Amino acid sequence: MRLMATSRREFGARLGALLLLPLATSGSARAAGGRTHKVEIRNFAFSPAELTIAPGDTVEWVNVDIVPHTATEQHDGAWDTGELKKGQSGKLTFDQTGTQAYYCAFHPNMKGRIQVRTA
Amino acid sequence: MALAVAAMAGCATAEKKMNDLKIAHSAYTAGNLDIRYAHMALALSETESVRRFAETMIRDHTAVNDQAVALITKLKVTPQDNPLSQALVKGASEKRNELSALRGKAFDCAYAQNELGYHQVVNKTVAGEFIPNTTQPELKSLLTNALATFKVHEGHAGKMVEGLKCG
Ligand SMILES: [Cu+2]
Repeated sequence: MRLMATSRREFGARLGALLLLPLATSGSARAAGGRTHKVEIRNFAFSPAELTIAPGDTVEWVNVDIVPHTATEQHDGAWDTGELKKGQSGKLTFDQTGTQAYYCAFHPNMKGRIQVRTA
Repeated sequence: MALAVAAMAGCATAEKKMNDLKIAHSAYTAGNLDIRYAHMALALSETESVRRFAETMIRDHTAVNDQAVALITKLKVTPQDNPLSQALVKGASEKRNELSALRGKAFDCAYAQNELGYHQVVNKTVAGEFIPNTTQPELKSLLTNALATFKVHEGHAGKMVEGLKCG
């Protein structure tokens, strides 16, 4: 909890089977076991752009650029961090295996990919 | 566009080196003018790609200019109006008049092409004149970050022009 600075945004959305369920009803047991992976948004790129995680892990995007960015699911916007201004971050937890392609809704050339798979 | 190019080129020769306060004024002015173009696009265009581009221009140029204001406030300095800023304002006012008479695809294409040209000229000036002549380190750093942003806009504008198939 030390990391929860005031400038951070918390989204807490859980994807896959739990998509659209409010945070309060999502599986907290798995959240406790999942790792958090940081993706920096710097110089108009996601770094790392490719990430492999386990189901139940969380990805945290941190924007260090001077302009706002987003991390938004590529195909139909199934998930979205919302606008992240300079210094803000947003997290999402991925429960289902599969590949998630995403981009920045403000700068569509910025692209990233998350592979969710069991080890 | 041609006017803006001529204005900027003319200024660069007339005034060999701009000081930090003039550079800050012109950089801020260039951003503000692009925000005004964007508001016009949101008022006049129904095209999704154009509207999204315009929204990004407002969001990004506002973010950059807010940081410029924070910096000059911290440094307790006042940017100086100068011939380049004046030429930019005049050129943009003429371009807005031209754009305001257009609708539909004619507007979209003229706006998109102007955005591409405007970012090309501004980027050339920021890279070739503003950054090399800036002495205050934080202003130099902000301009460097701003240039990276405007270059992305230039690429985005190029894609928008292509996508509109203006011919
Ligand atoms: Cu972005």
